[in-house]
This record gives sequence, structure tokens and C-alpha cells, in this order.
Amino acid sequence: MFQVLWKLRWFFWQQRKRYAIAVGLLLFLNFVEVAPPDIVGRAIDLMNQRGMTAGTLWDLVGALALVIVISYTCGFTWQYQLYGGARVLELSLRKRLMRHFLQMTPRFFEQNRTGDLMARSTNDLNAVSQTAGFGILTLIDSTTYSATILVTMGSLDGWRLTLLSLVPMPFIALAMTKYGKMLHERFTLAQDAFGDMNDRVLETIAGIRVVRAYAQEKHEEERFAATMADVYRKNIAVARIDALFDPTISMLVGITYLIGLGYGTYLVFQSQLTIGQLTSFNVYLGMLIWPMLAFGQLINIMQRGNASLDRVNETLAYKPDVVDPPTTVAVDRPEEIRFEHLTFRYPTSDRDNLSDIELVIRRGETLGIVGRTGSGKSTLLRQLLREYPPSQTGALTIGGVRIEQIAMDIVHGWLGYVPQNPMLFSRSVRDNVRFGRHDATDAEVLEALRLADFVKDLERLPNGLDTLVGERGISLSGGQKQRIALARALLVDPEILILDDAMSAVDARTEAHIIESIRSVRQGRTTLIASHRMSAVAHADWIVVMDDGRIAEEGTFADLMAQGGWYAQQYERQQAYGEEALDDSDAIALAEERG
Amino acid sequence: MIDLNAEKQVNKRLVEYAAHAKGAIALAIVMLVLAVAAQLAGPFVAKAIINRHIMGIQQVWYEVTPRAGGAVEWEGKWYVRADRMPAQSKRLNPHTLVAVGTRTYFLDGVVSHVARGNEAGQIREQEGGRSQLITARPLTRQQLFSFYRPEIPGVIRLALVYFGLLAGAAIFLYGQQYLLQVSANRILQRMRKDVFHQIHRLPIRYFDNLPAGKVVSRITNDTEAIRDFYVNVLANVLSSIATMVGIYVALFILNVWLGLMASILIPILIVWIWLYRRATVSVNVRIRALLSEINAMLNETIQGVPIIRAFHREQRTQAEFDELNQAYYDGQTRLLRVNSATGFNLAGVFRNSFFIAVIAIFGWRSMHLESLVSFGVLYAFVDYLNRLFQPVTQVVNQLANLEQARASAVRVFELLDEPGVDPVFGSIPRFCGEVEFDHVTFSYDGEHNVLKNVSFRAQPGQTVALVGHTGSGKSSIINLLFRFYDPQGGQIRIDGVDIRTIAPQQLRQHLGIVLQDPYLFTGTVAWNVSLGDERVSRARVEQALRDVGADRLLAHLPNGWDEPVLEGGSTLSAGERQLISFARALAFDPAILVLDEATASIDSETERLIQDALSVLKRGRTTFIIAHRLSTIRDADLILVLDAGEIVERGTHDELIRLGGKYRQMYELQTNMAPASGA
Repeated sequence: MFQVLWKLRWFFWQQRKRYAIAVGLLLFLNFVEVAPPDIVGRAIDLMNQRGMTAGTLWDLVGALALVIVISYTCGFTWQYQLYGGARVLELSLRKRLMRHFLQMTPRFFEQNRTGDLMARSTNDLNAVSQTAGFGILTLIDSTTYSATILVTMGSLDGWRLTLLSLVPMPFIALAMTKYGKMLHERFTLAQDAFGDMNDRVLETIAGIRVVRAYAQEKHEEERFAATMADVYRKNIAVARIDALFDPTISMLVGITYLIGLGYGTYLVFQSQLTIGQLTSFNVYLGMLIWPMLAFGQLINIMQRGNASLDRVNETLAYKPDVVDPPTTVAVDRPEEIRFEHLTFRYPTSDRDNLSDIELVIRRGETLGIVGRTGSGKSTLLRQLLREYPPSQTGALTIGGVRIEQIAMDIVHGWLGYVPQNPMLFSRSVRDNVRFGRHDATDAEVLEALRLADFVKDLERLPNGLDTLVGERGISLSGGQKQRIALARALLVDPEILILDDAMSAVDARTEAHIIESIRSVRQGRTTLIASHRMSAVAHADWIVVMDDGRIAEEGTFADLMAQGGWYAQQYERQQAYGEEALDDSDAIALAEERG
Repeated sequence: MIDLNAEKQVNKRLVEYAAHAKGAIALAIVMLVLAVAAQLAGPFVAKAIINRHIMGIQQVWYEVTPRAGGAVEWEGKWYVRADRMPAQSKRLNPHTLVAVGTRTYFLDGVVSHVARGNEAGQIREQEGGRSQLITARPLTRQQLFSFYRPEIPGVIRLALVYFGLLAGAAIFLYGQQYLLQVSANRILQRMRKDVFHQIHRLPIRYFDNLPAGKVVSRITNDTEAIRDFYVNVLANVLSSIATMVGIYVALFILNVWLGLMASILIPILIVWIWLYRRATVSVNVRIRALLSEINAMLNETIQGVPIIRAFHREQRTQAEFDELNQAYYDGQTRLLRVNSATGFNLAGVFRNSFFIAVIAIFGWRSMHLESLVSFGVLYAFVDYLNRLFQPVTQVVNQLANLEQARASAVRVFELLDEPGVDPVFGSIPRFCGEVEFDHVTFSYDGEHNVLKNVSFRAQPGQTVALVGHTGSGKSSIINLLFRFYDPQGGQIRIDGVDIRTIAPQQLRQHLGIVLQDPYLFTGTVAWNVSLGDERVSRARVEQALRDVGADRLLAHLPNGWDEPVLEGGSTLSAGERQLISFARALAFDPAILVLDEATASIDSETERLIQDALSVLKRGRTTFIIAHRLSTIRDADLILVLDAGEIVERGTHDELIRLGGKYRQMYELQTNMAPASGA
């Protein structure tokens, strides 16, 4: 349970000054804070015994004033330092997680779902940071503070009264731990129910057109009512336990008071305690409540913190799959890309995903890649991205050097990559296009958008280049996203442009138009295009047809048509059948015409 | 930047919602008051013990007959406390029990105002201007205890009362907290129901403009924050206020003077809360905005790492993130500084200052022999003061949450205030299926017409194909037919009746639609066909699935029609989803059917299956097809070619090919497209 503190020792050491001050002051305050009740008790006794003089009065008032000043200054300082420490830990862990994510390759993201990684970066991070702040406070208070109070109380009466009054205290800790456990169980259920409700609502909103078209509003409301009833039930189950905390504490604390007062009175009768001492004693009892509660929380915080830290560390411990070698070979320019008998298999795959690929692409050439879904088109292109550890058989060389010997930064600097499912970021259209070159001028951005045939669409966006897109911005159609992603890649004016089925949601006419524009600006640069449309690669210098990870056919358009193989068949079928869509395949087609 | 009026409005509506659970809340408040009363009675009991039974023996005692009730033996004679003597009885041989310093004396005669003498065993009696020295022997412990012994039953009785109060307080406290939680949850349920109902009242336009995630978060997360508001306000703030009021009542009962003294705290408290809010509101808002930005960026980065890496953006991304992270940290540090400076540290200062005041005032008075209050009262006063500061800190701690809840409430009420139309249910007779657009003009924004003077007529059972590029107006025609929107000009008639006279829900009973990207709900395959509508029997579901040929394509599902559909149907292929939505349309047996053709590439076998299903589906109903592949509409009865909101060509396939216009151009582009290099 307390391992978490040990695991965080690097942090405590790094922040040792801060924690020394905070913990030191906390310990010091333990003694200062027992003073006021004692002073009040003394004052009452002095008044009772008619012994109050101006001098003693001044002493008492002065002492209390001093306590005020000391406890406020120290209280402020420790609180600021201790909770500040928690914030620093949160800051640095979050920074590390981000840096880590940025080094990761697809394999990591395949193994860890986004939701899970998000949970680690938010909830788990909170739990860990709480350990370093509130956790330390509860640790000190439930141990040293309660000890200080106990010793003070014990010294007042010689322990009899103290021990007797404390009988209910362990029950408080016990009850809190027990309730805490029950509450946690029920709370988890309630959270799950909440999650279900969330999904329910999301579904209704996402499918609102279906709901409306089939006039299912009433049924939806009924279904939702059932879900809400479930949420309600589970929340009430939580409330049943939650409402137990305060009464239990107040009952047990009351019993403690009762014992203190009852037995204390008896001791006064026996002349073993003064009234003033009795008064102070009861104040001390009141002061013990918090450390007792802190104890219950301490256990909770440490357990949660430990589990959360383990999860965060597990993520951070994942070693990047792909790293630069200790010494890299400098390559000025990607003159020639050569696949030499390259065989590749995804780490999770049980068969080769690329077999014996033999291919040469000279600088300035355009390569077209076609083939069925799953035939290896993307896999072939992604070899250039260096997302996986290098293949054991064969090699991919650029300018005669194996790609894994070139610094990754250099390789990535050459590339412009447009995937099939383009991911736009929640920023303006302008910033999305400038993603790879943040200092590009508006004229350059507009030129890239023009090449990607997005200018007309741009006019329709509410704020033009400043329109916020991505998850938090306006919703774009698949074709619009693809074209912005294309502009993003074109703006970089990359040595090697990779279009991985990048225009699947763009209609054939537009695609033909875009490809024409691309060709005009890509003179002397290498372009790799994978597509489902045979016509989209017809202009390429070389076309390969992938099948089950192998090159099944290759040649120029004329060669392939003459061969009459898969390519020629597909080409003709697509021409005859009119496979081509007329317009963008918008996800919600009915909404597409909004001006 | 707090708009006072809007704020009041929000508060008012939150109170109005609370009225939905007013019974439970009222009962809870009664219990709260009882619980607080019982809790606060505690110090009164303590005061009684101290005043009556501890300090109480320091008074005049009179001799009584031996072994009388409550009598104490002293040097062979029996004495009883003056206040315990019957009123009429004779007062004989008065003695006085006085405490001076740590010693107690039982003196002959009535003695008042004593002080420590100059020598041991001497005490000074002061009366008026003169003082007199008395030599006396202090009581031994045993002797003193014998004076206390008659008090023991009384102390025990009071202890039992105290215990009873405790138990009562605990029960009421539980009842109060439970009831408040129930109320908060009930209010929340009501609010969610209202919001969800509102979802179905809103025009479809609302959903076109707002991402689904945002709408969902209004219904779930924002209302959840409001629940926290009710739980916190009701449970914490209310009980804090009740406790404080109770403490003040107790203080005034105890001693008006002490009550007045403690009242100074009220203005201090108000100023404190006001200053705290002023200092933190803007920081809090900023911090929350930053946090949501940080999380959004994390989320985006996790999903976009391949792009970030491919575009060589790692360092900039990290730098941007660090900047956000640092800004968040700075905001939190600022908040922490304010919290550390106020919070319980400040509460401690106030409490100890009151202690100083108490000591100074009472100490001074005790020196000048004007006993203002008894020690029992003083004890209770100190106790109450201690208790007073707990609710104060609790209220201050809740302030940040209250702000957050209020911001959420504003968003929820905004959604609830959106104009909408209540759905109207009830069945109407089935249409024959004649559809007529009569000079229909329509605009989404009131400025740009997306349909201009569109007129056409579809006879029952006919197939009408709509052709045109994005933005040509195809989808708008469907939007109008379903009354998702209403046109600005012209009329749409079904069987000769203006559809604006038919409630949308009634109209849609006899309309069916298959969307381009069919949406499937979580549930089973069969449920997705019937949508849980009891009018669609299981037999009809199965028949519909068989009729569209889904039995062949879905044969591999282990649970057949009861196979669960997960995550919007992402586990099924596009073709499978398409067929299920066909079956859905078929099962509802609409008189008029709209098909938005899928563009996703489907393998040729599935393609054939879907074409077959289509012909089953079209049989006997008026069908509109939004066509993307011209090859599939060759046999349509009417093809409408739209361009910029106008019908530019109309006729059958053969007629339009013969016409040699736009349609023919498109058709040729699709079927004989030359290689792109030649385009």
C-alpha cells in the first residue's frame, strides 16, 4: 500500500526542499495546534480559581496571538508547498506521457486503446498526484498529529480518561474502511450505468435521422426512461451507503464526548481533574476526529495511487519499437528507393504480409499500386514510414543506404503522407494545412488547397481558412477531409509523396482533376499512389498489382492492359459498371447540401 | 463577467426544478432541523453538568435531618444544597462550600466573594469595601467527593439524555442525507427526461450544426454536474446553513451577549465568500477550459501520432502541449495560493481570534469580580465556536463546484430553450403513394435557395431517380419529403394532401428510408429491423430479412438474427449493414421509400445481392433513389437531373440519352472514362 511512496522516491528527492519544508512545518504545527485549547483551559481555570491577573491575562492573550500568527504563516506555507508538489508531479508526469506517446509507433496504439490511454493520462494521473499532496497530509495527520494530541491528552489526566474516551475511535476507522469499500463497489456500478446511458444517448443522436424517419421518438424515450431508471436505482444504492458516513461518525464521536464528559466529571468529583482541564480535554477529543477520518482516507488514497502509478509506469515503460541506430548514415537526397527481396510481417501477424518485394523507384517517378483490400498496398507504402522494426529478410534502401540506418528525422523530412482515413486536428483549416510547415504564408496554403481542389469548398466554410475543423470543429465530409489532408502533404512539397488510397471518398472526376494538378507540381519528385480506382494510377510510370503480399503484375498502363490480367479486367469492369461515384460519399448524405 | 440577470434566471430555474421533489426536500429539511437541534443540544447538556453538578455544589448548604435525600454528612451533621431544599422548609445552620485556587473549603455561615489569602490555610472574604481573613482547613479529596456523591445520579441521567440526543441526531441525519440524495437524483431524472424529450422536439437542423458529442455531453455530463449542484447545495450548503443558524440560536439561548458577540462573524463570512469568489471565478473558468483543451489534445495526439511523426511535428506538438500544461499549472498554482491563504487557515485565524476575545473579556471581568456568565456557559460557548467554523469551511470549499454546476446549468437550459415542436403520434391511413412537388422553393439559411421552383409528380408505384452533383439539391428534396425541413415556397402533396397538414411523425409512418451509410443501433440484428416497435412482429422481421436475402449473407452469424450488433454495427461489413437496413425498410412496409445509394465499394457478389434486394424492396411502392451510379437507374420510371437546385432534365434513361444533354454527358463520363492522363 505504501509502496507508492517508495516508487515515487525519485520525485520526493527531486523536490526534497519543498517536501522538507512542508513536512517539517506540518510536524511543527502539530505542537502549535494543541496550544489554543490548553490556553483556553488555563484561562478558564484561572478565572474559576479567581487567580486571573492583568499579567497572566496578557500572557495568555499574547500566547494565543502568537499561535495565530505562527499557525497562519506555517499553515499557508505547508499547504502551498505540499499541494504545489502534487501539481508539479502532475505536470511532469503529463509531460512525460506526452513525450512518450509521441515516440510510439502503431503497434503501441494497437495494444492500447485510446480510451485506456486517456484514462491513464487523466484519472490515473490525478490519483498519483493526490498521493503526493493530500496523501502526504493524511499520512502525517493520521500518525504524528494524532500521536501529539494523544500524548497531550494523556499528560493531562494520566491516560485513564484518554484511553477510555478513545474506545469508539477504532470503530470510526473500521466503519469508514468498510463503508468505503461498499461505496466503491456500488459507485463502480453506478459509473457503469452512467456509461451505458452515455452510449444510449450517443446512439440516439447519431441515429437521429433513423429515429425520426421511422417515427420512433416515443420508443426512444421509453428506452431512455428504462436506462435512467437503472441509473437512478444505482445512484440510490450509492446514496444509501453514502448517507451512513456522517451519522456514524457523529454518533461515535458523540459517544467519545459522552465518555469524556461523564468520566471526566467523575474525575473532577474525585479532584483528579480541574474543570479547565475537562474543557481542554473535550476540545482535544474534537481535534482527534479529523486524524481518524484521515486514516480511512489514507488507506484509500495510497491504494488508488499505487494502482494508478503502476498503470502510468506500465505505459511509460513501453520501449519504442523503432529507434535510430547509434550511428546513422547521412543521405542528402532520396535518389532511388529500392525494395530488395523485402519480406515483412506485422508483429501480430502469423504470416508474411509482404513477400519478396523487388522494386525500384527512381527519383521523379510515379509508382501506382493497386490490388484488393488486404493485398498489401498500404503495408508496402508504410515501409517508408518506419513504423515497425526493420524486416529481417531483404532490405529497403534509399539512395543505396538501408532505411534503418538513416536518421528517422531525415526520412520523415522527405515524406508527405496522406492516409486513407485522414486525421485532421482540432484547429483551423489554415493550421491543418500548415501542419508540416508552420511558417507557410496564406498564399502558399491557398495554393496547396487549390491543388487539392478545395477552393470551392473553402468558400462555403463559415470562416474560410479560419474555420475550426477536427473533432471539436465543424463536421466535414470524408472527401473534404481527404482533400485537406492532401493539401497538408502538398504544402510540404515533399521529396516523396505517399497517397495511400487518399482519394477514396472523392468523386472520380475530382480525383482525375487533382491527380492532374499533382502531376504538374511533382515534376522531378517521387510520388507513390495506392488506389482502388484503376484509372487513378493509369498515368503512373510504373504500376504494381499486389496480391496477398506479392507483386502479381507490374508494368506500365499499356503493358498491363496488353497483358489482360487482373488490372485490365478491373479497369474494364470499373469503366463499364460505372463504379465511380458522382460525388463525395458523405457520412450523413442528407445534410450535405447545407450552404 | 457575471451577468447578474442571467445568473438569477439560472438560479430561479434550478429552484423550479427542485420543486419536483419538494415533498422529499421538505421532509429532509425537517429532519435536518431535528438533527441539528439534537446535535446542538449536546453542549447544553455539558453546560448543565458543569453548572448544576460540578460548579453547583459551590453554594450555601443548610443542616437537615440525618440521611435526608441528597444530604451530605459533615462533622456528624447532615447538610443539603440550598437549591435542593423545599421552598417552605426552615434554613438552619448555614455553611458555604467555596473553591479558592485548587482548594475547597466548607465554611461556617454564608460567605460570598472569597479570594486566596496571603498565607496557606487563609482565605479572604470580600464584601462591599471591607475584607476579612478567615482561617480554614481545606477539604480532603474524600470529603470533597462526599459532597459530589449526591450529584452522580443526576450526571448519569444527563448522560443518558445526551446519548438519546445522539442516537436521535444520527437517525435524523441519515434520513436527511438519504432523502436529499433521493431528491437530487429525482430532480436529475426529471431534467434528463426533459432534455431527452427536447431532443425529439428539435428541428433536424440543430443536429446538422452541432457535433453529436456536444449534444450528448449536454444530456449526460452537464446534467451530472447539476446533480452535484443539488447534492452539494442541498446536502452541504443547506446543512451548513442549518447548523450555523442552529448554533446562533443556541448561543442566543445560552446568553444574548455571547450571541451578539458571535454575530460579528456573519458579515465577516459574507465578505470572505464574496472576496473568495471574486478572486477565483475567472481562474476557475480558465483552468477548466485549459484542462479540457489538454485532454482534447492528448486524445488527438494519441490518435494522430502516425501523422505527427510522418510530418515531423513531434517537437512542436510537445512544445504546444508543454505550453498548455504549463498554463494549466500556473492557473492551478494561483488558485492554490488563494486557497491556502483563505480556506481553513483563515478559519483557524478567526476561531483563535474569537478565543482571544473570550479570554480577554471574561478574564478582565473575572478580575473585576463581575461574574457575567457561568463557567458552564463558557464551556458551551467555546464548544459552539469550535463547531461554528466547520460549516463555514465547508461552504467555502463548495464554491468552486457551484460555479461549475452553474455553467453546466446554463448550457442545459439553453438546449431546453431551443424552439421545437412536440411529436404527434397516432396512425393515419396508408398512402397510395402519389407524390407531387408543386413549385417548391427552399433555402436552409433564408439566403441561398437550394431548391428553386421544383415541380414533379410521381405516380403510385413508380421509381424516381434523382441525379446530380453535390449541392444540386437531391438530398434537400428528401429532407422536405420527410418534413425534416419545410419549404419556403410551393407545396408538397402526397395523395393530393399538403403534407404540412400532416404531423411529421404521422407522415413518416408510411415513409421509409435507407441511408447511404446505414446506422445500426446496439441491440440484435432482429431488433435493428423492428427498432423495438411492437407493430413489427418477429415473423415479419424474419420474413423481411429473408426477402432481402440477408439469410444468405448473414448465415455465418453464430446467433442468427439474435446476433448482437456492437458499436454502431462496426463489426458487420458495409454490405451486411446495408441489407439489414433494407430489411428494416421492408418490415415497416412504407408506401413511399427513399433509397440513398451507397458509394462504398462492395464486392461484386454482395453488389448483386443488394441489387436483387432492391428490386424486392421497390415492389409496390413509390420509390425515390438518390443515385450515385447511373448504371443502377436505367429502368427508373422518371429520372430527374438536378443542377444548382433546379431540375434541368427529366425523362427516362433512354429519353435522356437521346436528348444528349447533361445526363448523357455524365453517363458517358462514368462508363467510358478515359485514363486520367487524358482527361
